Amino acid sequence: MVAKDKQRIAIALKHGNVPAHGSGSGMGSEPTSTESELASTLLASRTGMREKVRQWWPYYAMMAPGLLFFFIWHYVPIWEAKMAFENVRIIPPNIWVGWKNFEVLFSSPIFYQVLANTLIISGMKILFVFPVPIIVALLLNEVRSGKLRGAVQSAIYLPHFLSWVVIAGVFIALLSPTDGAVNQVQTAMGFEPVNYMTNTGTIRWVLVVSEIWRSAGWDSLLYLAAIFAIAPELYEAAEMDGANRWQKIRHVTIPGIVPTIATLFILNMGMFLSADLNQIINMQNAVNASTIDIIDTYVYRMGLSTGEYALATAAGLFKAVIGMALVLVSHFVSKRLTGKGVW
Amino acid sequence: MASQSRRTPLERVEYVLIVSTLLLLVVFTLQPLLNLLALSLSDASKVAGFSGLSIFPDGFSPDVWLLLLQHPNVQRGIFNSVWMTATSVCIGVFGTALMAWGMSRPGLPGRRLIFILVLVTIVFEPGIIPDYFLMKRMGLLNTPWSVIMYKAISAWYLIILIRFFEEIPKELLEAAELDGANPFQTFFMVVLPLARPALATIALFYLVLHWNEFFRAMIYLNDQSKWPLQVVLRQFVIEGDKIAIVGANNVNNNLGLAQINIRALKAGMILITILPILAIYPLILKFFTKGTMSGALKG
Repeated sequence: MVAKDKQRIAIALKHGNVPAHGSGSGMGSEPTSTESELASTLLASRTGMREKVRQWWPYYAMMAPGLLFFFIWHYVPIWEAKMAFENVRIIPPNIWVGWKNFEVLFSSPIFYQVLANTLIISGMKILFVFPVPIIVALLLNEVRSGKLRGAVQSAIYLPHFLSWVVIAGVFIALLSPTDGAVNQVQTAMGFEPVNYMTNTGTIRWVLVVSEIWRSAGWDSLLYLAAIFAIAPELYEAAEMDGANRWQKIRHVTIPGIVPTIATLFILNMGMFLSADLNQIINMQNAVNASTIDIIDTYVYRMGLSTGEYALATAAGLFKAVIGMALVLVSHFVSKRLTGKGVW
Repeated sequence: MASQSRRTPLERVEYVLIVSTLLLLVVFTLQPLLNLLALSLSDASKVAGFSGLSIFPDGFSPDVWLLLLQHPNVQRGIFNSVWMTATSVCIGVFGTALMAWGMSRPGLPGRRLIFILVLVTIVFEPGIIPDYFLMKRMGLLNTPWSVIMYKAISAWYLIILIRFFEEIPKELLEAAELDGANPFQTFFMVVLPLARPALATIALFYLVLHWNEFFRAMIYLNDQSKWPLQVVLRQFVIEGDKIAIVGANNVNNNLGLAQINIRALKAGMILITILPILAIYPLILKFFTKGTMSGALKG
């Protein structure tokens, strides 16, 4: 037994599988049984390691560009974010100031204004935008002609693929007080024209409606996919029981898409502090700015226009941390309730 | 048909209501775009009072389109957008596929850790200022590479591809191995050809993402000559910088483009920016719809 182990270690040594210093200790004295057992397990794991490397290095080689990419573009910025705790100076090095930037941030009234705007806009979107694609999917599912449904789908998916620059351009034209379609209808009906883009009372609704315009169609696809995945037997059974359209929707369709609704709701909750920078930066103008100034536009303005890098980074980090907490909490809540999470 | 005749009048009314609601949604979606198209193609003399409701050109003149397409700023914008988007898409598709392939192998050591590290990037984004400083530190500010590299590999699309690769039948890969293929050969000669539809979907995802990107280009690129079309459009239509397109001399002396209605010019500019998306829209419908449907069915 012992001799055999010794032999194996010797062979292993010859092939360089065991590091020299590891086995050197056992060389002078007669190794005890436990020592040699240890050596042989060590040996096994070493050859396992070598085998693993031999088997997997090509995959790691292929993944290397991607891993490097994620490291540089996603992990180095986390390190850069330490700026939030520093006094950023034009001539390096920066000086560590701890929570001071956050104290400045949390004592500035603009920050609370911006935070409130963000919460209001996100809240409005959850209330008024989120349900629309569900309704659209339910309606689409009722359409019996496949051709008609396909045509409607092709039309309503389009805006999802347009940039916010384009969408803002379209809405500025659509809502123009002089020749925009909306105001033309409004004046024809005897109402005064409204400049929706510069009216602080309406601009948030412009955000809601343009978000519906952009995403209601496309997002309905996810729900429609979930509806199509519902077993047809359930509908047949409901029909046998004499269920009408609404009863089928209520008792078969909606329960069938609840997990999808929950998952997308979570994704939306995770974005609660975002409120969509790309949308707002294109819809913002001198008049409406304060009404729809959100954390992201604040970060952008403070950081890249005013040059308050540390303060802007602190605000961005605040958003990132709370946002992460929101996503994680809702992910685990949803996993618990529906068995489905964000990932 | 038999079942149709059994429907009650109430059900028929319901059906009409459902269909009309959807048609209304179609009108709400398309009318604003068609209106801009009609405006940009209308006869110059009819444009001034062109109704926001109309979807048919009043008279016909391609002048707005021709003048814009001959404009140096627009041409440069198109050129920048096209090559930057193309480069990003190539890097994105290739990088994502390579990484997804490794991550889709069940026995890969450290697979779970890599997964978590990727998910972290979805959940936690430290913000635009650290990104900006990273670009600065790497000397990429005011170079197109800052925009091209940013989000060249998307965590979401990576996950989609991993799911796809996981479902490639093991037998096919084992057969390749028996034939003496090494992992690289297996990937390039077996996996990639099998994944063509998935790769096409990912390529379209990236194409739309990068074509529509304006924010990063706006903050990273100072030189107007490096701007992609979206930023050129933004300057003209959103920031209302008329001079950028019409030209100071023209504005002052009411020459050239200054004689063209500004509304029609803006409409034309918006549509030129949309055009590539419209051109690939049939493909998008084919691949995106299928991709999303199958993803949701499995997920």
